[in-house]
Amino acid sequence: MEGEHVNVTPLIDVVMCLIIFFLLVGHIAKKMSIKGIKLPSTVTGKSIGSQSNELIINLVPRHSEVQGVQRRPRIYIWGKYYSYENLASRLREYKSHHPNLKLVIRADMHTQYRYIAPVLIACAKAKIVSVHFMTRRQG
Amino acid sequence: MSLKRSKIGMHTASHVGPNMTPMVDVVMVILIFFMLGSSFTSPVWYLTNNTPAIRGGFSNVKTTKFPPVKLIIKLDRVGRHTMATIGSYQTENLKGSLYKWLNKRRKILGKKTQLIIKPHQSVPYQDVITVYGDCVRARYHEVAFGMPVR
Repeated sequence: MEGEHVNVTPLIDVVMCLIIFFLLVGHIAKKMSIKGIKLPSTVTGKSIGSQSNELIINLVPRHSEVQGVQRRPRIYIWGKYYSYENLASRLREYKSHHPNLKLVIRADMHTQYRYIAPVLIACAKAKIVSVHFMTRRQG
Repeated sequence: MSLKRSKIGMHTASHVGPNMTPMVDVVMVILIFFMLGSSFTSPVWYLTNNTPAIRGGFSNVKTTKFPPVKLIIKLDRVGRHTMATIGSYQTENLKGSLYKWLNKRRKILGKKTQLIIKPHQSVPYQDVITVYGDCVRARYHEVAFGMPVR
């Protein structure tokens, strides 16, 4: 029939909703994972699956003016800075609100172990059962 | 005659308002952009850690039982390389050889063997993860981390 065509107005509403969804997801992902961290690579690993109850600890490397001396990385959780001293108490707080908490450690591949160990100690003190290391697939 | 004229005049546009079709094209392009943008991040994997507690170490699962065999993997920094030592076995090649050694001995050592990774404080995180990954790959389920060695 002449003059008849599909009304595309509702389609625009749906697409707008999808765009807003992707914008929000991108914003949340940006807050959870901070840039400037080059993850270590592994040949083995798995995807966690459900990301509910997940808490990511970002160890952001700091630039050192002295060559050969590495500065202590800064700890960020949900975009907020935490000191190494406060970390255990914070993790205990998170754990009390989320008993099935999954902790993910996200650190730069060049970070020395001396700065990773305190984070692991804080996790053990907070009695967090599930600790994961975020890596990238090798190759 | 006047009726025919009015019929002719009735062929007016039934749709009033701006044409939405080009806007749909633009919105679709934006949507594809955001979908592709989110897929450009590199795939991330996770190495899980669920280890029992040991004396002189730290872990997240408390248990009163100690496994029968304990194997300590020491990681030391030698120049720009990291050397792994298990008893008398030493290797600077962390990519593959440690996994082969562990895998070969898994049947002898048994499933309950506990591996303790004790890196020097200056060992980079990448090497610690590589060794931990090799332990997981060789199917040792009880892997713990020791305090950093000074």
